[in-house]
Amino acid sequence: MPSPFSRLSPALEPHTQLAEPSFDTKRHVTYWLRCLKTFLPNVYTANDSNRMTFAFFVVSALDLLDCLVPHTTAAEREGYAQWIYHCQHPAGGFRAFPGTDFGDRRSAQNECWDPANLPATYFALATLLVLGDDLERVKRRECLAWLAKLQRPDGGFGETLVNGRIEGGSDTRFGYCATGVRWILRGTVEGPVEGVEDVNVDQFVQCVSLSETYDGGISDAPFHEAHAGFTYCAISALSFVDRLPHGAKTYDQNAREDDRPLAGLSDLHATIRWLASRQTATLDDDDEVDTNGDETDTPSTCHDAHTFVRLRGFPSEQGEQSYKERPTSHLDLQWAGFNGRCNKLADTCYAFWVGASLDVLHKAPIASRPRSRRYLLDRTQHPAGGFAKHPGDPPDIYHSYLGLAALALMREPALKPLDAVMCVSVAARRCVDGLRWRRSIVGEGGGGRGEEGEEGKGEGVTKGTERTEGTEARGGESRPAAPSSAGTTASASDGFAYMAISGG
Amino acid sequence: MPKYAEDPAWEDVVPIPQDDGGPNPLAAIAYTEEYSEAMSYLRAVMANNEMSERVLDLTEDIINMNPAHYTVWLYRAKVLFEIDADLRAETEWVNKTAFRHLKNYQIWHHRQLIVDKLGSAEGEADFIARMFEKDAKNYHVWSYRQWLVRRFDLWEDGELEAVEELLKKDVRNNSAWNHRWFLVFGKDQDGAMKDKAVTDREIEYAKAAIEKAPQNQSPWNYLRGILRLSAQPLSTVKAFASRYASLDDADSVNSSHALDLLADIFAQEEGAEEEARQALSLLAERYDPIRANYWNYRASLLNGSAGEAKAKGQSAAA
Ligand SMILES: [Zn+2]
Repeated sequence: MPSPFSRLSPALEPHTQLAEPSFDTKRHVTYWLRCLKTFLPNVYTANDSNRMTFAFFVVSALDLLDCLVPHTTAAEREGYAQWIYHCQHPAGGFRAFPGTDFGDRRSAQNECWDPANLPATYFALATLLVLGDDLERVKRRECLAWLAKLQRPDGGFGETLVNGRIEGGSDTRFGYCATGVRWILRGTVEGPVEGVEDVNVDQFVQCVSLSETYDGGISDAPFHEAHAGFTYCAISALSFVDRLPHGAKTYDQNAREDDRPLAGLSDLHATIRWLASRQTATLDDDDEVDTNGDETDTPSTCHDAHTFVRLRGFPSEQGEQSYKERPTSHLDLQWAGFNGRCNKLADTCYAFWVGASLDVLHKAPIASRPRSRRYLLDRTQHPAGGFAKHPGDPPDIYHSYLGLAALALMREPALKPLDAVMCVSVAARRCVDGLRWRRSIVGEGGGGRGEEGEEGKGEGVTKGTERTEGTEARGGESRPAAPSSAGTTASASDGFAYMAISGG
Repeated sequence: MPKYAEDPAWEDVVPIPQDDGGPNPLAAIAYTEEYSEAMSYLRAVMANNEMSERVLDLTEDIINMNPAHYTVWLYRAKVLFEIDADLRAETEWVNKTAFRHLKNYQIWHHRQLIVDKLGSAEGEADFIARMFEKDAKNYHVWSYRQWLVRRFDLWEDGELEAVEELLKKDVRNNSAWNHRWFLVFGKDQDGAMKDKAVTDREIEYAKAAIEKAPQNQSPWNYLRGILRLSAQPLSTVKAFASRYASLDDADSVNSSHALDLLADIFAQEEGAEEEARQALSLLAERYDPIRANYWNYRASLLNGSAGEAKAKGQSAAA
């Protein structure tokens, strides 16, 4: 099916003025309100067990669009919170969907088949925060005790506990969710809190280090291929436990060292190089011409550096022939998305995974924001609202949320600013600092990790834009924020099922 | 159409309907009747810890509709082992299911359990080859393949040759490059990095691939990885990189990655800061403008002023 955006294909004349792409607020609001207020189509059955994650996407998207409060009543929002609490597990944590609940037939013999789920627990807490809930109904001590039991001897976390066994993978998606839950419920305080043991932070940091790859990225396990989703989860998890390396605290590499316990990311520069390399103008299959047996490189065969143009001469006649056929306009380079792995196609969600990773490392200006924005708005934004994975695909909730999140990170004017670590609005994240019960645990500082002033995000260097905070969180007890520690984040999980999946 | 309710084989089961938790559920899905019914029966048999042949049929039914269900797979595995089911037949079924749900994670975990129990990797190589025909970069398949190599000690078992085949088809398949790294360094990375014969061979391998397609980033990353982890200076490949990019002939740069590498090499060289700056500005302005911000950032690390910044840039490059 032809891409609905084909009319926006770049012109070949190098001097054509680019039309400024626009964010279609009205259609996005329509898309998300439909997701909130009507049943999701049957095709989402395959994600029934990720409902809590999807709940998060829907509620948080409306918050980013600043229309959650205007379009829902207080009673409805309380109803949504009740649904989340309905999914709370009797022994702490949350179920990912109501589908495993045996109701009054639950017993000690069958409870193993109805475990709490780690990603669901993070997303449940994050959604409650976005809804303005005070988390008073969360079984905090049970949840934290369960969390410690999900940690494996190597430091990584599993997804569920079944009959005392830790099940699920051991990758950084779970590490992200675990450290996110820990941060929300007890800040960055290390050691026992209210009589509940802490997780082993040093061991976790060690585990993340072992998943670093030879090219500077991070994978789901030692020796697996570097992947932007896992990289984001790892970096954000290190932020949640305040163990990012010094160079990640600010854009300015001349800043003074501070004393830190064991920090993750053994080679920050290699990681930054790997992240920067993810931006690509190879957007669809047409760009990814078959390179089999082709010994030459032309703009069209350079998946990772699409831009590369050899100005004269080719190693072979064959190379010259294939080059001749292909457009070389630099205008092509005005649309550049991100891929999740070396030599792959761009995909909407990686605009977030990569953009947010750089943001958490205080290196956001390294990505080309105008190109990324044009890619999202001209190529994967769908005419009916939402975003697709690739140009021409139908929109889906996962890519629609991460497309919004990526734009919010880039300060899209129609969206609330985003906290890269938590992947919720900055306003929603600030609600964490205001939680009464939490202040007694983490103190007035808010339990943040490290200072993060305005300069913190490093925007200044290339753009000089200030990070301005948008609207306050609705519904929540918003308060003047303590210097925010950014922290937390997000979403990767999901979907877990997802990320790895999304082809990236 | 009720399927289980009207089946005499299931008449002893009292289904457990889903309690969706009040009037404002989130992410509520328009379930088909078929799915709702099957889930009600699944809850009922799970609640009784039923271990039976019919449970296998029911879990299959659910998995086809919702392969991401995290306990149905564990439950199915338990049933298989408890009733001593034919595990070969199970792998056949998993094969089919994997083709239907290429991106599902749970399937691979399940397969791992079954194959581990079977204690044999027989047939797995063929299966993987067929999966790669559909997508030679499928993350789950590559992860599973690494598990197989470790579990069944297949390091020397034609794996390198298989990777070579895949790279012959597509020298840009980064997953295949990563697998090669795993095969060479996965057993004992520190040891292999100290073995000059091994690192030399791998460096030559990367160079040959670069020769074939100089703008392919995978072998450049592979090359840098070896130099970094075996603590060899980048300058060892200065002459090689210069074949693809030279500041003296800025019009005929053949590879942005060569230029990038040269920039790092100059940055480490005494008094070559200007050359480093020149290479980075060629990248920013001409050969890789998408990443102009990054190249400029790299140039800012050169800013002689602060020794610290420079040292950092160098240690990263090294
Ligand atoms: Zn995606």
